[in-house]
Amino acid sequence: MKSNYLRCTVAVAALYFSGNFNAQEKEAPIKEQKIEEVVLIGYGKAKVKDLTGSVSVINLNKAENQPVADIGQAIQGRASGVTVVNSGEPGSNVTFRIRGTGTIANNNPLIVVDGMPLNGGLNQINMNDVESINILKDASSTAIYGSRGANGVVMISTKRGTKGGILNFDTFTGMQSVTNMTTVLNAAQYAKFNNELLSNADMATNPEFKNPDALGIGTDWIKALFKPAFMQSYSLSYGDRSEKSNLYVSASYFNQKGVVLNTDYDRYIFQLNGDTKIKPFLKIGNSVKLQHDIKKSGSYDIKGTISSLPTRAIYDENGGWAGPGANAMLYGAIDNPIGKASIVENSTKGYNIQGNIYAEVDLLDGLKFKSLGGVEANLWYERTWSPKFTWGITSQKNSYLREKSNRSITLLWDNTLTYDKTFGEDHHVNAVVGSSAQTNQYNYLEASVQKFPSESTQQIDNGILQPVQHGNMSEWALMSYLGRVNYNYANKYYITATIRRDGSSRFGRDNRWGWFPSAALAWRISNENFMKDSKTINNLKLRAGYGITGNQEIGNYSFSSSYNTYLYNFNNTFVSAVLPTVLPNPNVKWEGQEMINAGFDLDMFNNRISLVVDGYIKNTKEMLVPMSVPVTSGYSDVYVPSINAGRIQNKGIEATLSTRNFVKENFKWSTDLVFSYNKNNVEDINTKTFLPGAGDGTNLNRMFGIITANYPVNVFYGYVTDGIFQNQAEVNAHAVQYAGSNPATSTAPGDIRFKDLNNDGVIDDKDRTIIGNPNPKFTFSLNNTFTYKNWDLTVFLQGSYGNDIYNVNRMYTESMSIIANQSTAVLDRWTGEGTSNSMPRAIFGDPNQNTRVSDRFVEDGSYIKLKNINLSYTLPKGVFGQNFNSVKIFTSAQNLVTWTKYSGFDPEVPVNGIDNGTYPVTRTVSFGLNVAF
Amino acid sequence: MKNIKIALFSLFALFATSSCNDDFLDRTQPDTINTGNYPKTAEELATIVNGAYQPLQRPKLYNMRMWTSDIFAGNSIVGAGGGDDGIETTQLSNFVTSTDNQGVLDLWRGPWPGILSANIIINTAPKLNIDETSKNRSMGEAYFLRAHYYFILVRFFGDVPLVTTPQDVNGDLYPARAPKADIYNLIVSDLEKAIQLLPTKQQYSDTEKGRASKGAAIGALAKVYLTLGNWQKVVDLTTQLEGMGYALNPDYADNFNVNKENGVESLFEVQYASDGGYDFWSNENQASWASTFMGPRGANFVGGGWGWNQPTQEFVNSYEAGDNRKAKTIFYAGCPDYDGKEYKASYSLTGYNVKKFLVPLSAFPSYDNSPLNFPIMRYSEVLLMKAEALNELGQTSLAAAPLNLVRARAGLGNVSSGLSQVAFREKVLHERRMELAFEGQRWFDLVRVNNGQYGLDFLHSIGRTNATSKYLLLPIPQIERDRNANLTQNPGY
Repeated sequence: MKSNYLRCTVAVAALYFSGNFNAQEKEAPIKEQKIEEVVLIGYGKAKVKDLTGSVSVINLNKAENQPVADIGQAIQGRASGVTVVNSGEPGSNVTFRIRGTGTIANNNPLIVVDGMPLNGGLNQINMNDVESINILKDASSTAIYGSRGANGVVMISTKRGTKGGILNFDTFTGMQSVTNMTTVLNAAQYAKFNNELLSNADMATNPEFKNPDALGIGTDWIKALFKPAFMQSYSLSYGDRSEKSNLYVSASYFNQKGVVLNTDYDRYIFQLNGDTKIKPFLKIGNSVKLQHDIKKSGSYDIKGTISSLPTRAIYDENGGWAGPGANAMLYGAIDNPIGKASIVENSTKGYNIQGNIYAEVDLLDGLKFKSLGGVEANLWYERTWSPKFTWGITSQKNSYLREKSNRSITLLWDNTLTYDKTFGEDHHVNAVVGSSAQTNQYNYLEASVQKFPSESTQQIDNGILQPVQHGNMSEWALMSYLGRVNYNYANKYYITATIRRDGSSRFGRDNRWGWFPSAALAWRISNENFMKDSKTINNLKLRAGYGITGNQEIGNYSFSSSYNTYLYNFNNTFVSAVLPTVLPNPNVKWEGQEMINAGFDLDMFNNRISLVVDGYIKNTKEMLVPMSVPVTSGYSDVYVPSINAGRIQNKGIEATLSTRNFVKENFKWSTDLVFSYNKNNVEDINTKTFLPGAGDGTNLNRMFGIITANYPVNVFYGYVTDGIFQNQAEVNAHAVQYAGSNPATSTAPGDIRFKDLNNDGVIDDKDRTIIGNPNPKFTFSLNNTFTYKNWDLTVFLQGSYGNDIYNVNRMYTESMSIIANQSTAVLDRWTGEGTSNSMPRAIFGDPNQNTRVSDRFVEDGSYIKLKNINLSYTLPKGVFGQNFNSVKIFTSAQNLVTWTKYSGFDPEVPVNGIDNGTYPVTRTVSFGLNVAF
Repeated sequence: MKNIKIALFSLFALFATSSCNDDFLDRTQPDTINTGNYPKTAEELATIVNGAYQPLQRPKLYNMRMWTSDIFAGNSIVGAGGGDDGIETTQLSNFVTSTDNQGVLDLWRGPWPGILSANIIINTAPKLNIDETSKNRSMGEAYFLRAHYYFILVRFFGDVPLVTTPQDVNGDLYPARAPKADIYNLIVSDLEKAIQLLPTKQQYSDTEKGRASKGAAIGALAKVYLTLGNWQKVVDLTTQLEGMGYALNPDYADNFNVNKENGVESLFEVQYASDGGYDFWSNENQASWASTFMGPRGANFVGGGWGWNQPTQEFVNSYEAGDNRKAKTIFYAGCPDYDGKEYKASYSLTGYNVKKFLVPLSAFPSYDNSPLNFPIMRYSEVLLMKAEALNELGQTSLAAAPLNLVRARAGLGNVSSGLSQVAFREKVLHERRMELAFEGQRWFDLVRVNNGQYGLDFLHSIGRTNATSKYLLLPIPQIERDRNANLTQNPGY
């Protein structure tokens, strides 16, 4: 029988070991186990039972053995109020959103690993090394991180070694495949479509398409770009603990081939953690991670691949890459995407070290002093190489090499004084006071050059044309003082107060320092006399807290007033011209955020039912918004400073319900339900109109989302469709869209009718409105774990409801306006009166702008996914002899099934709801092994 | 004991970190110059002055928008690629200009960075501890440039905000428009100071040629008085220029020759150079756009060649017989070969293209490398200003002499003697049109003569019947009025 609980680190409370996969252990009374768990909070630890704030403690055992690349992906959906968004590309890091989008600036939470804020990505950590993850969500828990706590804090700690000298080997191999691929027209369908497209616009058709059916299927470009791909992981670790010291060391290798051609990710991690009591009162220790990764991102163009003409071949008659041909009207204007993806190399090599060492001194009874020094060094080298080629529209005239070397070094020094004592029987005090200093410096040097005599000499020195070089550096520093007092009386009445004072180099001298206080109360009603002996309620604790935190994630030098160096000349002699460009804002300061949180923890029926509910209101004030700078100031009205003038509010309710439905000798079944509801509202952004949000990178005039007052962030903004004009009379009866009588150059039957919202008879910019909201009404997950004898089955469902997605891909695959392949959806296009009321006519040039930003492309993104299903079998102990403590075999599938109305690859798109050529999230099926010696 | 020592030490360590506070947190941006301690020396001040010249080079001013004013002044059409290419200029030339016109927005955005730089110099240079000569020159250049930028604004837009000190976030960022008269007062007083402070053109070394000189300031002031109608002052100033070493180039084409830049006829030109290294489309680009934009499309005469600014038939007809400027200013069927290539009328929608700003493909194969400077004031204009002013003062017979000097260079005979004042005025204005063609001057003549009635009459005569007195001023861009509620709009928009 396995017991699945978090590990405990050096702790004040009693520790319960369920020594790694040790099958014969005695089951301790459930009640005491759970309450005695210890979690990391900022600059200290606390027992779960004593928490006064809102902290999600993630049960890693339920999330283990998922075929994912890093720990971020593994905890998706596991904590209420926490959204994790995964981009499919190998080697990419996840994005977190804790309790809604609080700012238009940087929304990333602070990630703290073994006491050190992480500068790089979660890719630097081996999943198997992670001991615990706690997410601090409310201000009373995050205020201890002051100006970095506004977006929440993710606290990760890695294993430190357990008694018994256990050697673990974990491995899995998986196969990834793309699901729900777009189907596009084959050659025959495309030729027919293309003929119609051009003749509708009174243009000459392609002579090669005279007989469409004879063209058959043609080239399947999508199949050539996407292939199923392997993923494999190997991890070996050893941990041991004795009375004086403990040790944990591990090494791992991970490789993920990308489903897209020529993308790949390799990662090596080595971890060494140790703690030793060198004297009875002096303990020293370290946590060091060394990581090296190689990310090959190739040169893929998903949009281009989908648009490539099926009537064109991938290879030419000589076996080389086929070009699109000189005439774009016949052959399209897309470079052979398979060729490009195959020959252009793009890679990033990273070398990351994150390590800290500490000394902890027992000064007096209950008083400890700890000093911790940490270093994080992130070095990464980017390289792009393209050989010369002539078969593209934008041919590469000369071979090209670009290399960029980046270095980011972060230093940390924390000093804390902790006092922990129980007075009498009932008074327990835990206090910490301390300081923290942190600096970071980033440097880069970049060079590129063209024209190499031979493609086998790919070094910058060998190129001869157009050398370009760039280099720069940037730095920041943070100085803080912090303090916290936790007091509880008889484990019944709790009070916590924290204060932090932060000074940041990102703000001018007058605005540098900020105070971030918080306070929280909790009452364990269940320990009151009237409830102490209740048989049904084991634990009922009410909590309430309030705090002020900040966000300082803006540019490093926003407050500065500076000149930029340009060039001028006199009589052809160059001179430096020094000009001010950005209006200085010396007043720029933190974004302040206040949060009120109230909630309760309830355990009933011998802890068979556990419920944690929290409600919160999060107000971001003095949000950094771009300033509207008038040109008469002489400063740029494009490169503007940020001013603290906006307000956003997030309100929500989170609930986590865990039930142990069956607890029998041979059969167990437990369920966890996580539910998060958040309502976001932008209250003020210091402008009467709106701020542009997400847009199409290739066309700056196309904006899909905006940020505007009295709506949630990132709402979609565009025109409203109202069916299709079936005949000329309908066109004439409606407001003017594109005037004219020639259907080839103006609005005609078959075009989309857009609503005239202001009834002025003309469809123009003023007829745009809010057309969708990417923020979900609620998100949820449901995990069921079944255990039957030695078998375990975990089924994890995750979903989102009420969020819209703006499908930018369809703006291309259903545009029916240029020479490019389209999705099979266009087979239902309008070809005459009554043939369609949703898919317009095919006409080159799209005179009616049927592809303008409108609700045509807004879809319901609600989904439920069978995110993970894991079946494992633990071999009975002793099967392989006494040396093997336990052996577990498992099979695990990720993203197995998705139920959604959304028509794109995958409804998991970035938080702003825009699906624009996003790398598809894949389905992965894996097999693996956990062995403990 | 030991414990107490350790306790004390740890407390010390705790608070030791507090000592290096503000210095620890002072981080300055390494790739820009901090305004707090710059400029300190004369060289550093000169770089700020150079920064005040730089906005002149940009497409928002002389690299594009200033010369497109000849298009809406009726000398030419946009041409280009047809369709939507240059639609904002076409709308301006058809007098259907709206408040969100991109050309208007660029012209509004062009001068203000230069005004800011000039204000910084004017307000901070006096306190600097540097030699008087350098200080005077830098201040003189700043006054000259500020006056020039305001002169552009006031002639296009009318009343504009009067900003004479640099502002920051706490300052007055939302000024209202000041009356034209106040702007002109500033321009005049700035130029008078510039005249005092600036050295003469001869006093500049070869590598400094192109900086504003005393002569440039005098010429600029004369032009301001010409616009204001103060004819006597125009005569005085242009006469002052006669003894200062300027003269007409023997060949009209010398003014637009890359090998003869900043020559004897030049009072002030916008400097361009090859191989600056910046992208052609960026603000810092050092190359001229004129050759690339105005070169005939598809003719391979120049690097690029996009066919903008195609002269109209009416303009071409305006050349007097024998005017040697015709073949040096424009291309027409039958004109001399360019760079060994024949010109075909089919290259252009009107049958004509501009020639004077082109640099040949054989010398400059790349579209983004033309170093040809753009003239702001030439000595021939000084002569024409004198002729116009004398005529307006009733001294028509004296006015003939400077006019005839310009005509003689163009291969034309003298004007008939005994012309009336009205007839002579027509002659001078015509001469200005042909002499300064495509140099961004014609629109200002249309707007200033007879309070713009001359312009309206002319535009109606060439079929631009939409032109009304409202269009003599450009609208204040709507996007700017959205930012600054104190900006009123020009009447009729």
